[in-house]
Amino acid sequence: MTISAERPTEVATSVAPPARVSTPWTQRPGWMSQHLGTAIVGGFLGYILGHWFGNYISSSYPYIVNSGQNSIAVTLALTGMVVGWLLGIGALNYPLAKLIGKDAPAESEVKGWSKYFRYSTDHKVVGMQYVVGVLLFMFTGGLLAMAIRTELLNPTTHVFGPGTYIEIVSEHGTIMMMMATSIIVGPLGNYLVPLMIGSRRMAFPRIEAFSFWIFIAGYMVIFSALPYGGFSTGWTGYAPLQTQNGPGMISYLLGFAVIGMGMMAAGFNIAVSIINYRAPGMTWSRVPIFVWSILATASLLTLATPVLFAGGLFGILDKTVQTAFYVDEHGGSSYLWQNLFWFFGHPEVYIMALPGFGIVAEILPVFTRKPLFAYKVAASGMIGVALLSFFVWQHHLFQSGINPDMRPLFMLTTELISIPTGFIFLVGMGTLYRAKIRFEIPMLFAMALFFNFLIGGVTGVFLSDVPVNVTVHGGFFVLSHFHYTIMGGLLFAFMAGLYFWLPKMTGRMMNKKLGLIHFWMMFVFFNLTFFPMFIIGLLGQPRRVFTYASNLQGLNDFSSISAFLLGLSFLVFAFNLVWSMWISPEKAPANPWDSLGLEWQTASPVPAHNFDRIPVIMTDPYHYSEPGAPALADFGGASSGAATSDSHSAKNEGADND
Amino acid sequence: MTDIFKGSKAPNATPEEREFELRAHLGSIWTGGRLFIGMYTFMLASIAFAYFYLRSSNNAQLWRPNHITAPTYYGFFIYGFMVLTAILAIYGQWRLRKGEVADWQVAGWTGVASGLIALFLQIWEFTRVPFYPGSSGYASTFIGYAVMNIGTIVVGTYWLETTLARGLRMRKELGDGAEISSSPAAQSFRANVASMTYNWGFIALGATLFLVLFYLM
Repeated sequence: MTISAERPTEVATSVAPPARVSTPWTQRPGWMSQHLGTAIVGGFLGYILGHWFGNYISSSYPYIVNSGQNSIAVTLALTGMVVGWLLGIGALNYPLAKLIGKDAPAESEVKGWSKYFRYSTDHKVVGMQYVVGVLLFMFTGGLLAMAIRTELLNPTTHVFGPGTYIEIVSEHGTIMMMMATSIIVGPLGNYLVPLMIGSRRMAFPRIEAFSFWIFIAGYMVIFSALPYGGFSTGWTGYAPLQTQNGPGMISYLLGFAVIGMGMMAAGFNIAVSIINYRAPGMTWSRVPIFVWSILATASLLTLATPVLFAGGLFGILDKTVQTAFYVDEHGGSSYLWQNLFWFFGHPEVYIMALPGFGIVAEILPVFTRKPLFAYKVAASGMIGVALLSFFVWQHHLFQSGINPDMRPLFMLTTELISIPTGFIFLVGMGTLYRAKIRFEIPMLFAMALFFNFLIGGVTGVFLSDVPVNVTVHGGFFVLSHFHYTIMGGLLFAFMAGLYFWLPKMTGRMMNKKLGLIHFWMMFVFFNLTFFPMFIIGLLGQPRRVFTYASNLQGLNDFSSISAFLLGLSFLVFAFNLVWSMWISPEKAPANPWDSLGLEWQTASPVPAHNFDRIPVIMTDPYHYSEPGAPALADFGGASSGAATSDSHSAKNEGADND
Repeated sequence: MTDIFKGSKAPNATPEEREFELRAHLGSIWTGGRLFIGMYTFMLASIAFAYFYLRSSNNAQLWRPNHITAPTYYGFFIYGFMVLTAILAIYGQWRLRKGEVADWQVAGWTGVASGLIALFLQIWEFTRVPFYPGSSGYASTFIGYAVMNIGTIVVGTYWLETTLARGLRMRKELGDGAEISSSPAAQSFRANVASMTYNWGFIALGATLFLVLFYLM
């Protein structure tokens, strides 16, 4: 019997009176409890303690005395910082209490903005925390990008030395790539997935909160590389340079391992939630396409990241207990790192791309007022991309560490993956075909993704071919290609998602004029920054080098100036955010885009438990402009914000937009 | 893996909604346990890949000079105690299903002790390895495996211990026989026991593979 059929039996008396429980001091509202401040103190104390202990146990080791660098102390200091941070924020309260049979502490409902500085198990709070977290990542990574482009303004007059330059490049790449893995899954995945599947909660809320707070700890660990002298390997961390680098390399390896734990936790929780917490009636063919993309991504996060974690662990062991995993002269192999790194690294590309595809596929029907074209093809394309992504990593080794006879196989698998990717593209084009498009800001960003990703994708097919790959490897052509896929794809999708869902998440509309300025600046200057880099690359400029041939200065200057203006576009976005949220807030309608998505059918702001009644899903959410289409869901007569305040609620609006 | 299940936290949840959330919760424990095995498999696959990659590369002829081997006695004892923990967990779950709660508890706590002994031996083995960590490919992969195995034993034993502690807590809150009752909390508890047991079985399987790789081959 369905929940809907059972609803008449609801009786208020079925609710047991809340048990009277005392709230421990760690959970109480106010500043005399656990929050960001205690996490910082904990992290600081953990760092000091770890450093002292590392020195205590290892300062007399001959290799440490001879090298003058105590990598054990650095490793334990950073590990202590992470543990102290987690203890300070309260992430370890329950896992430790469980050991002595204690129950989970009662969660007090913290009101106001201070809840965003605490270890919250509310997926909506975690989602908003992630929004701020990834914007912080993006801001710092972006500043480093500006530094790179400043250095490349002139081939002979230098702002930084070659060593500092490569450290900036490495830090920029690492920050951006690690941030990018969570940029959509973290903020939008955590906030929206339960709403989209009709759930009141995530499966493992503590694991969800843990994923965020350890993500921030990982960010600090990676940034600690700078005071340690940085690392000169680029974001890929190749050995033997990895082995030769100083303590900054430990920050890189440990940072990857720590963020890897966060990625595994996030993917694990989201995958389990989607599989088990879908509302009654939400069969797999009714799952929103964004949720499909997040499920595919979560699977990759869960299964590919352990390999990165293991690779980082081996590197740390090389640095601390002097194993020789990546040291050829001692029976190890520098290529081992490349294999482990790229076994994670290539699925990571799809960890970044798939949620972007999910966002645009979710947005297109709303602004075209058409059903999503070939929904099942889109879903199967996403799963196909996720599966195939495990079989392509060796194309990163075409120039190193691969038997030349194996190249055609990985060339083929790499080319194959363009087929399911093409499915997703075709789904987008099919939805746009003969549509009356509403060019709202989220739609502009979504359409820009197709333009950018087309360039990134087609150059990717070139790069999958061994002869081209061998020719342009290690140059600006590759750099431009992956910026087109990651920034041109993922970041534009993220912006589309933010403009689309922020009204739901915050109850406030983003300013449209500022949004348009942001979009056009970002789109134009993104292309003006990175398209010339294809030419620069074909003319032979290598990556990660602080100087270049003087005849390339014109193109580099053009690219740098465009990059500064691209950076300015993000300041416009930041200003828009501050303006629209705090300075001149405009209340968002319950369903400003007339979306049929389930997330728009609950009240705004979203209540603590998302839905008054768990909805029973009747159909998929893409029946735009279909007269007589069934209602999306039965909310059991519950008054759910949009359902009562907006005409485009659970009921399909039929052809009203045609 | 989870708290004592006390039903939906949503106010005014109907009995049907509570039932739905209980089923979702039980399903999550089942799915989570299997997904955890997936994660662990890829972790083990990394060390296995490193083992075979370095072995086939044999760089500087230093994969395994003089066929050095980690202390075999320690290896067998560690393996033995890990398998014993797995067997005790499986046995305990079987007895729990039969309604023999005391047997489950005895088997479980013995399993915790066995896990702790395995952990102690795995750490102590570091002081007995007859090679320098970076002396060869074999030595490096062995140290890597041993570190990973410490993590495995810690997580597995923690899961077993907290499940047992949870049983005791539940008994305190809900009375004797709480573990085998039909209450949602008991269903959640048994699902957790099943998931934990399943994972210990897999840990034992992985330990067997690496016993062969590092000590017997």
